[in-house]
Amino acid sequence: MKVTFPHMGNVYIGAKFLMDGLGIDYVIPPFNSKRALEIGSLYSPEEICLPFKIMMGNYIESIERGADTIILTGSCGPCRFGEYAELQMKILKKLGKNLDFIVLDLPSDIGFDELKRRINKISSQSPKSKKEKYMALVNAYRIIGLIDALEAKAHERAGYEVNKGECKCLLNECKRKLLDTNNPKEAISILKEYHKKMDEVEISREKNPIRVAIIGEIYTIIEPFSNLYIEDKLMEMGVSTKRTLSPSWWVYNTVLLSPFGLTAKRIRDAAKEYLPLGVGGHGQECVGEAILSYEEGFDGAIQIFPLGCMPEIVSKSILPSIARDKNFPILSLVVDEMTGEAGYQTRLEAFIDLLERRRGYVLSGN
Amino acid sequence: MYYLGIDVGSVSTDIVVIDENFNVVESVYLRTKGRPIKAVQEGFKIIKDKVKSADIAGVGTTGSGRHIAAFLVGADVVKNEITSHAVAALSLDKDVRTIIEIGGQDSKIITLENGMITDFAMNTVCAAGTGSFLDRQAERLEIPIEEFGDYALKSKNPVRIAGRCAVFAESDMIHKQQLGFAVEDIIRGLCEALVRNYLNNVAKGKDIKSKIFFQGGVAANKGMKRAFEEALGCEVFVPKHYNMMGAIGAAILSAEKRSKWTNFKGFEIADVNYETASFECNGCSNLCEVAVIKCEDKVIGYFGDRCGRHSGKVAV
Repeated sequence: MKVTFPHMGNVYIGAKFLMDGLGIDYVIPPFNSKRALEIGSLYSPEEICLPFKIMMGNYIESIERGADTIILTGSCGPCRFGEYAELQMKILKKLGKNLDFIVLDLPSDIGFDELKRRINKISSQSPKSKKEKYMALVNAYRIIGLIDALEAKAHERAGYEVNKGECKCLLNECKRKLLDTNNPKEAISILKEYHKKMDEVEISREKNPIRVAIIGEIYTIIEPFSNLYIEDKLMEMGVSTKRTLSPSWWVYNTVLLSPFGLTAKRIRDAAKEYLPLGVGGHGQECVGEAILSYEEGFDGAIQIFPLGCMPEIVSKSILPSIARDKNFPILSLVVDEMTGEAGYQTRLEAFIDLLERRRGYVLSGN
Repeated sequence: MYYLGIDVGSVSTDIVVIDENFNVVESVYLRTKGRPIKAVQEGFKIIKDKVKSADIAGVGTTGSGRHIAAFLVGADVVKNEITSHAVAALSLDKDVRTIIEIGGQDSKIITLENGMITDFAMNTVCAAGTGSFLDRQAERLEIPIEEFGDYALKSKNPVRIAGRCAVFAESDMIHKQQLGFAVEDIIRGLCEALVRNYLNNVAKGKDIKSKIFFQGGVAANKGMKRAFEEALGCEVFVPKHYNMMGAIGAAILSAEKRSKWTNFKGFEIADVNYETASFECNGCSNLCEVAVIKCEDKVIGYFGDRCGRHSGKVAV
């Protein structure tokens, strides 16, 4: 068995060390690129949302490198993500690829026995003892948490850094180093080392940068390729950003808290006034986060979602009311297969300009 | 002292020279034709006989080609089109509350309050309703684009055209033509369809308050102005230099910057031979498409690489 998984931000880091810990052979798909998107679009339904297409590209590029089993999380909610696995299985089968799809759904949707059977398919391939398997899981969870926290720190501190680009360089350096090791323990010590380095980046609190919250559909805000590297661009512009949704946030909220019905409770509570019901995906979270980021003193929020995303269309139509009621600017960006960045850059620059001018700056220069 | 503003858009390249009171002294409006460098050089050839390079105290660039233009001419300010358009409109009238801007490939709405942008939106993934589409229809009907608006004004009974998608709008128009409807009625119907599309798509959820400015190349079309006025129920103002507002805004921003010196390289660059090429970088899995600008076989700049491995080497 040689497993693979689709890309979504730092997911590959957690998945890599989980498989390393379990001693199971794996392929990390090549990082998302135009090629992945091209292959993916070729084999996907034209009207499906962008994440589906990029994921298809990931699978095919991994199959070319010998992968025979795909691990994917599932969903039985009203968002189209629920049909991803089924559709993707069918398409790959038609293409004559002989593979195993292991879809990890919540026990509330498929039952404990079925989930256990599916997990067993993976864990039975591991030569490790029960205790080692458990440790592999614990370490992987720690690793994904540490890398997400490091990334969040870099995004926040980029607005305050004295030497431009330092946070971004450190973050990229850390990610490169993690790929050079197969030992989860070593990965944890690398991450701790970089957390320390990130804390020591020279910053000036007087800078008072523009602070923006990134909200919207989970895949397109987490996977940088899909949003044309918005967070990197904002870091370059000296903007401090915060994104609540991350792979570790998802694991914590969806896997650990959902049996207690506590998933994203604080965010959902905040959304209640405008959107009391879940509308699938993270539509309600998007609304809640807009309100929370306003309450936390952010200058504005940027909503990103793929063309045709149903839950986010609902939240998009609610956001203008929040913007009006709270006098809080929110920019909605729709992403699709287009990779031309000029129009995107224009919207982003204009939005940051708007926020700066609101603060009473006369001119920000370039 | 003069200030230079350059707006390199998808369809047109506009160059203006303004004085200290922001009055337009010289202006050139050219078609970009996909060659931004050539277009700027052509414009400079026209202007250089009228204005001396030494009199230029600041340069601003805007438009989708603002970065390449900034690099070419040595700009002091590089600003996005939204801010530039708003600055230009505000310099004419402090009370403007809404700006409708329709250009070659995109359309925008900007709302303002107390002389400050409060919100804006641009068309998302579709160019229906923009200048290029009107251009194409004018060509198909063999009517010069300049007279397109006059035709619409002649119409008494507009024909309904579906405006949601440019491709469908076109087939709808062809069907109506085949049925024998008059050209002016079809053109007026088209203007109304585009306005409907704009209000329901780009301007959805925005408060449109007067005073309303209508700028960008499409504002030349009197039929569009009237269709907007009918749909909104109030007067829509088209400023005198409606098609150069972006360039004017960029020039004003360079004047507001008040730097002691300018980066301007002079109008003489019009006679230098520039060449462009592109390649796909294999440095990592991003596979960026990198554009190279060469001047007499010497590489002077790179664009499009995300990591800066090429462009970082040459200061822009």
